[in-house]
Amino acid sequence: MSASAQEIENLIGQEYKDGFVTELEVDTFPPGLDEEVIAKLSAIKGEPAFMLEYRLKAFRHWQTMPEPNWAQLNIEPIDYQAISYYSAPKKDADKPQSLDEVDPVLLDTYKKLGIPLDEQERLAGVAVDAVFDSVSVATTFKGKLKDAGVIFCPISEALQEYPELVRQYLGTVVPETDNFFAALNAAVFTDGSFVYIPKGVRCPMELSTYFRINAANTGQFERTLIIADADSHVSYLEGCTAPMRDENQLHAAVVELVALDNAEIKYSTVQNWYPGDENGVGGIYNFVTKRAECRGANSKVSWTQVETGSAITWKYPSCVLLGDHSVGEFYSVALTNNYQQADTGTKMIHIGKNTRSTIIAKGISAGRSQNTYRGLVKVAKSAENARNYTQCDSLLVGDKCGAHTFPYVEVKQPSAQVEHEATTSKISEDQLFFCQQRGLSAEDAVSMIVNGFCKTVFKELPMEFAVEAQALLGISLEGSVG
Amino acid sequence: MSAELKTSQYSAAYAGMKENLPGQSLAWLQALRANAAQQFADSGFPSLRDEEWRYTNVAAIEKKLFVPAADRTEVNAEILAEVQAQLLDGVWAIVLVDGHFSTQLSRLEGLPDGVVVVDMAAALEQHSDSLEAYFAQAVSDTENGFVAFNNAWFSDGVFMHVPANQVLAKPVQILHVATQAGFMANTRHIMALESSAQATVVETFVGCHDSYCSASVTEVFVGQNANLTLYKVQMEGEKAYHFGGTYVKQARDSHFQHHNFAFGALLARSDVHTDLEMAAECDLNGLCVGSKRQHIDNHTRINHLQPYASSRELYKNVLDQRARAVFQGRVWVAEQAQKTDSDMHNRNLLLSADAEVDTKPQLEIYADDVKCAHGVTVGQLDEKSIFYLQSRCMDTDSARNMLTFAFANEMVDKVKLKNLHDKVLQQLLLRFPQAGIQQDWL
Repeated sequence: MSASAQEIENLIGQEYKDGFVTELEVDTFPPGLDEEVIAKLSAIKGEPAFMLEYRLKAFRHWQTMPEPNWAQLNIEPIDYQAISYYSAPKKDADKPQSLDEVDPVLLDTYKKLGIPLDEQERLAGVAVDAVFDSVSVATTFKGKLKDAGVIFCPISEALQEYPELVRQYLGTVVPETDNFFAALNAAVFTDGSFVYIPKGVRCPMELSTYFRINAANTGQFERTLIIADADSHVSYLEGCTAPMRDENQLHAAVVELVALDNAEIKYSTVQNWYPGDENGVGGIYNFVTKRAECRGANSKVSWTQVETGSAITWKYPSCVLLGDHSVGEFYSVALTNNYQQADTGTKMIHIGKNTRSTIIAKGISAGRSQNTYRGLVKVAKSAENARNYTQCDSLLVGDKCGAHTFPYVEVKQPSAQVEHEATTSKISEDQLFFCQQRGLSAEDAVSMIVNGFCKTVFKELPMEFAVEAQALLGISLEGSVG
Repeated sequence: MSAELKTSQYSAAYAGMKENLPGQSLAWLQALRANAAQQFADSGFPSLRDEEWRYTNVAAIEKKLFVPAADRTEVNAEILAEVQAQLLDGVWAIVLVDGHFSTQLSRLEGLPDGVVVVDMAAALEQHSDSLEAYFAQAVSDTENGFVAFNNAWFSDGVFMHVPANQVLAKPVQILHVATQAGFMANTRHIMALESSAQATVVETFVGCHDSYCSASVTEVFVGQNANLTLYKVQMEGEKAYHFGGTYVKQARDSHFQHHNFAFGALLARSDVHTDLEMAAECDLNGLCVGSKRQHIDNHTRINHLQPYASSRELYKNVLDQRARAVFQGRVWVAEQAQKTDSDMHNRNLLLSADAEVDTKPQLEIYADDVKCAHGVTVGQLDEKSIFYLQSRCMDTDSARNMLTFAFANEMVDKVKLKNLHDKVLQQLLLRFPQAGIQQDWL
């Protein structure tokens, strides 16, 4: 027992490996937020006039909104005036045209993170858009994607080159009045990715965005908009890291997905923002609004997320199943350790006929962390033959942590079938004993059991991400049972 | 927002009634009532903004302004017949008509020595010291507006006290009868079982066809190794509003079984909360059969405060026409409550296109060595089972009847008292969603 307790200490105590700071000249706004800041931000970005209006509308609405407090989270009050709302690497003033022009220091950063930004490496042929603090610094494989007709670029660029397309979809899935953090994001978002897959196109490679917060006292507000036109298919990956800092940093992102007839979007996230140290000091406050609309018949959206980072995670990737026969999926592993808090889950709103949704959520809590699943399955009267299956499992590691499940099920259609199951337990002593009796160390045994516990979710991840996710879990948890 | 914060009109309307309430001479009760009245003035009845009430709108109660029955209702032949129909054979019965104890209708002869079953007004005079120790210990005014309102203005109720090692040979039945339109019966009950005592209590709610409101708050104290079985059969009139709150404190090794049948009322809300100490056990069962425009909300909360306690919960809803059911179940496990074993299920059968169910089963767990599970299903009758019965020469309607009945009857079969079982079964058949149920296979 004591030996494995020692192992827990060691393993839980592992340092955050992405916690370095990149020394870089940056252009940062002084902290504070008012209409002037928003106007200045919009001007720097050279945005079309409708965007400034949109932002100001969102900002004015945001000022009237109270901060949400319903989540199972204990949040230190956030001073929104103490945050800088824009930070960009200085050399980005005139945008780099190719990788050669990107600051080598930046490229180094991404190399440290193991991101295949350099086209020469061509690892797995993934096209990457990298967002550093508030701006997108480089996008790879642009040419090849263009040949296929796929638009994949920073959203700031899309606003200049395809303003009408952006205008048509921006804010239609997550309106600027949706919630406190979505409104804030709409007012101040600086960059993010924009993807448009034209009719009948199967995106030739996986698209990926890496987000990194670098500068101190800044917030990151990115906005992702993905549109899959009829009969198209795209798989999109998202990764996030940040340096170790003693103060909490705010990250409030909005992701909007639109799937038209027969289109399919697969959205995978490995979220590894800095979680704070073992005493709960520092870490990212992660408030994210992610929502997909399956507008077309037979459309499909699949969310897969592995959440291991952030001091606070507040995130509910959702699917609005409007089109008949549309499908929504949500696969999630949320791991919390030390003083991390996560309140995460999904919403499946069934509106169209014969819509189906699957929710598999696995929560692992260790240390003194609190891990909450919060989900809604809503079947509207119009959703004949809707089908939902939900499974939420929680694994507790240590006796100081908490695991909570708050599902909401609202059904107005008798032909709907909704099932919800949830279990909470600790790692089985029998399983541990069996593995050890077969010659595995306690540490390997726990790692194996936890990976087995998460397997149904990991198998939904694209290959490269699955490897990364398993490694992440390993770092945070291996052997942490006594 | 401002509409919600407006003071409830009940505060003003009930302010002048203080002098008529029982327990005038007790300083502690007066203080408790004054605090509760203040709490109610601040909060009013719950609103949809309240997370625990997000699916149940009680604004109609606020709007209607039900008044308390000023005095004891005259017992006429009609009431007598209703009471006789509802009273079970072989029980000690205490009957409350419009929120007031009826000596004439109650049957309390032959209680063993030391066992107290008495109406609350009398108890406040005879047993005020022991009542003071129990009052507002299992639930506080801040729980919700109904509890505060009840504390401030309850008119009567039942006090039951069973001394240590006493096993009650017969069940105690508490019968609530509402006879008049526009009345509000506001009753307060305390049931206390000392260590190793054992009792069975049946709560029955019936009423007239007009609009009235029946609100009862019950605090239950189950002593160490004691065992209480509580049946609640709610058969209020079709225009009635019902609130029933049962708040339980279970001592070490105690057992508590609750069977909650909701058949009647236009709007019914039932709360069952229990706090479990070391190795205590609770078993909560519920069945709701709703039709027309009924709205039935069942709310349970199980707090595992100490290790080795176990809880089982199964609530079923059968909904027809425009009925709506709400289930909110919460299991809370404290940090030190290791070895907790908890299992909660909610099953819903929707029979019509306009029926609706909203369910929220919740687990909140702060200990690690626990076994907790919950499950929810919402659906309709299994087509394959219907087909099987049809292949056995049963017509579609009968097949559906049989399956629906089987779904609901599982809960009825849990009733151990034979005469109560028959009564509940009869109620189920009476309100059975499909017409012409064949009884030969019952």
